Amino acid sequence: MTGDGPAEEVLTALADPTRRRILDLLAARGEATATLLAAELPVTRQGVVKHLAALDRAGLVAGQRRGREVRYRVRPERLSSTARWMEQVAAQWDARLSAIKRIAEGDA
Amino acid sequence: MGSEDRIEREITIAAPVERVWAVLTEPEHVGKWFGQGTPARIDLRPGGVMRLDHAQYGKFPTRIEKVDPPHYFAYRWASAYPGQQATEDNSTLVEFTLTPDGDGTRLYLVESGFATLVIPEETRATASYESHSGGWTDVLAHVREHAERLTT
Repeated sequence: MTGDGPAEEVLTALADPTRRRILDLLAARGEATATLLAAELPVTRQGVVKHLAALDRAGLVAGQRRGREVRYRVRPERLSSTARWMEQVAAQWDARLSAIKRIAEGDA
Repeated sequence: MGSEDRIEREITIAAPVERVWAVLTEPEHVGKWFGQGTPARIDLRPGGVMRLDHAQYGKFPTRIEKVDPPHYFAYRWASAYPGQQATEDNSTLVEFTLTPDGDGTRLYLVESGFATLVIPEETRATASYESHSGGWTDVLAHVREHAERLTT
């Protein structure tokens, strides 16, 4: 169930409610600056910058400098692989339950 | 929590509940259906450890939560963290419910708690945590929704 699972750094990044909120806002807007995000969150701009750095390290957002500001957007790849992991977890249960059935019914 | 917080499955097995219970809780059987590992070590009591061995992904010391033979068996496992003992904070809850169905058994499985798989120390103490935020599975759902909207 692990293997291609979300790296620990992805889960840790997603564990924080403010960072989840930031991802949500970025997904809704396409892109945003730290200043803009801070205006919508109960966090200082400095706090938002720290959270963005954590999300960046986990590969969940990317920043691009435009003049004096950095605009951030969601990088969906790691989130997609995390979603795929959930689907794999379900598929593995299907396989396990089939094995349980085979063993209980005496065919294994 | 959204529906993505849990996985639910139900199958019918042509064997009595006692037999299915044995397959779920006895080491030599568990070793066969969980991964391709060696027989599991199982201390079958609440608080006891069932050591699941997945040959490919590693060993998972699960924590048994409830044992009600032959009807209900629940344990926590830290599926995202091979080698780590399952606790409230790093694991999901696996529940098996066995119901007699004629000569056979209906086996109902739930694995839940994905949304709160990791809760950092600093937020655990905050009372607002539960009320104000969905878990990461909600984020996945939202982001996927937006991504799909962008590509269509």
